Amino acid sequence: MTRRDFVADAWRAAGGALAALGVLALVRALRGAVPPKREVVLSDDLLRRLREAGGAADGELWVSGTPERPEAFRLVCTHMRCRVSPLPEGGFSCPCHGSRYDAAGRPVAGPAPRPLERLPVARSGGRWVVTL
Amino acid sequence: MAIARLAFGFLAIAVLSGLALAPLLSAGRPLESLETLRGGIPWGWWLRAVHAWAGWGLLALTAVHLGDVVLRRAERKLGAGIWWRSVVLLPVAVLALLGGFLLRGDAEAAAAAAVWREIAGSIPLAGPFLADLLLGALPGDLGAVALHHAGTFTLLLWLLTAEHGGRLWPDARATVLAGLSSVTLAGFLPPGLGASPAVPSPHLLLGPWYLLGLQGALVSLPAAAGWLLPLLLVVALGLVRHADGRARAALVAFCGAWLLADAAFTVRVLLLAHAR
Repeated sequence: MTRRDFVADAWRAAGGALAALGVLALVRALRGAVPPKREVVLSDDLLRRLREAGGAADGELWVSGTPERPEAFRLVCTHMRCRVSPLPEGGFSCPCHGSRYDAAGRPVAGPAPRPLERLPVARSGGRWVVTL
Repeated sequence: MAIARLAFGFLAIAVLSGLALAPLLSAGRPLESLETLRGGIPWGWWLRAVHAWAGWGLLALTAVHLGDVVLRRAERKLGAGIWWRSVVLLPVAVLALLGGFLLRGDAEAAAAAAVWREIAGSIPLAGPFLADLLLGALPGDLGAVALHHAGTFTLLLWLLTAEHGGRLWPDARATVLAGLSSVTLAGFLPPGLGASPAVPSPHLLLGPWYLLGLQGALVSLPAAAGWLLPLLLVVALGLVRHADGRARAALVAFCGAWLLADAAFTVRVLLLAHAR
C-alpha cells in the first residue's frame, strides 16, 4: 500500500465514521421528539353535543355513550392509520381505502383488520378524562 | 434521447419554479399559505401550476424514457452502475413529487401522509426510523417533508440525471420546450386544492395520480406491499441489463405485467371513489 492509498483509505474511513455518528445523532434526536401520551378533559360543550347527538368528535377523539358514562375511541383507521370520518347515518368511514365501521367501532367493510382503538376514560377531579 | 433531454428540461423548470415558490410557502401552515398563494398573490396559482406540471412532466418522461430504452434493448449502452442509478431515478422522482403532494397540507395530503408513514414504517428493522426521517417525528409537521422535497430528492434527481445524461445542465432548447409546455398546461389545467384535514370526509380521498394503482392495491394488500411492489419493479428493471434471451424476456414481461396490474388497481380505486 502506498502512502497515497493509505491517506485515501483513512480519509474514507473518517468520512464513514462521521456519517455513522451523524445518523446516530439523528436517530436519537428523532426518538426524543416522539410525543408522550396526553390526557384530554371532556369539555361541557363536548358532553352537551354527546347528549344531543349521541356522539361527538374532538380532533381524533370520538366520544359516544352518555354524558354520565362516556366511552371514547380514536378516529384512526386500523388499516393504514388514516383519520376516519363519522357518517350521518351512524358508523365511520375511512377516506383512504374505503373501510367502514359500525357505530360501536367494529369493522363492517373494507380492509380494516380490527375495531377502532378504544381509549381509557376515567373520572378525575369531577371531570371525565380520556388518555390519548 | 429527445425524451431524456426534455425530462431534464422539466427538472430544470421544476427547480426554477420551486425556487420562486419557496419564499411564499410555509411548511408549518401549508394549506393556509397555498390558499394565500392561490387567492392573494397575483399569478400565484399559475406559478404553483407551472411547478406541478413541470414535476409531472419530469416523472412521465422519465418513465417513458426508461420504457423506451428497455424496449429498444439499449440499456447496455450504459455501464452497470449508471444503469442501476438511472433506474433509481424513477422512485426518487416519485418520492420528490410525493413530497410536493404532501406539502399541500389538505385532507388528501394528510391521508397520503398517514399511509406513507405506515408504508415506510413497515420496512423491516429500519422502518420506524425511516418513517421519522422522511416524514418527521411529529405527525402533521411537514418540515422534514419540505426539506426532502426541495433538498434531498431534488439534489439526488439532479445528480442522477446529470450523471445519466453526461452533462451538468439541460440543453437550452429542451428547457425552453419544457418551460413552454408547463406554462401552457398550467394555464389550462391548474392543480386543485382540497379541504382542510380537520373537515371530516365521508368520501374516498384520492392520492396523487401516479400512486393511484398503489392506493388500489392497498385496499387488499398489507402496508408492506407499498414498498415491496415498487422495489420489485425497480429490481426487475435493473436486472434487465444483466439478463439475456429468455431471462431478459421474462423480466420485461414481469415489468409489463406490473404496469398492467397498476393500471387495473388504478381503475379499481377510481371506481371505488365513484361509488361512494
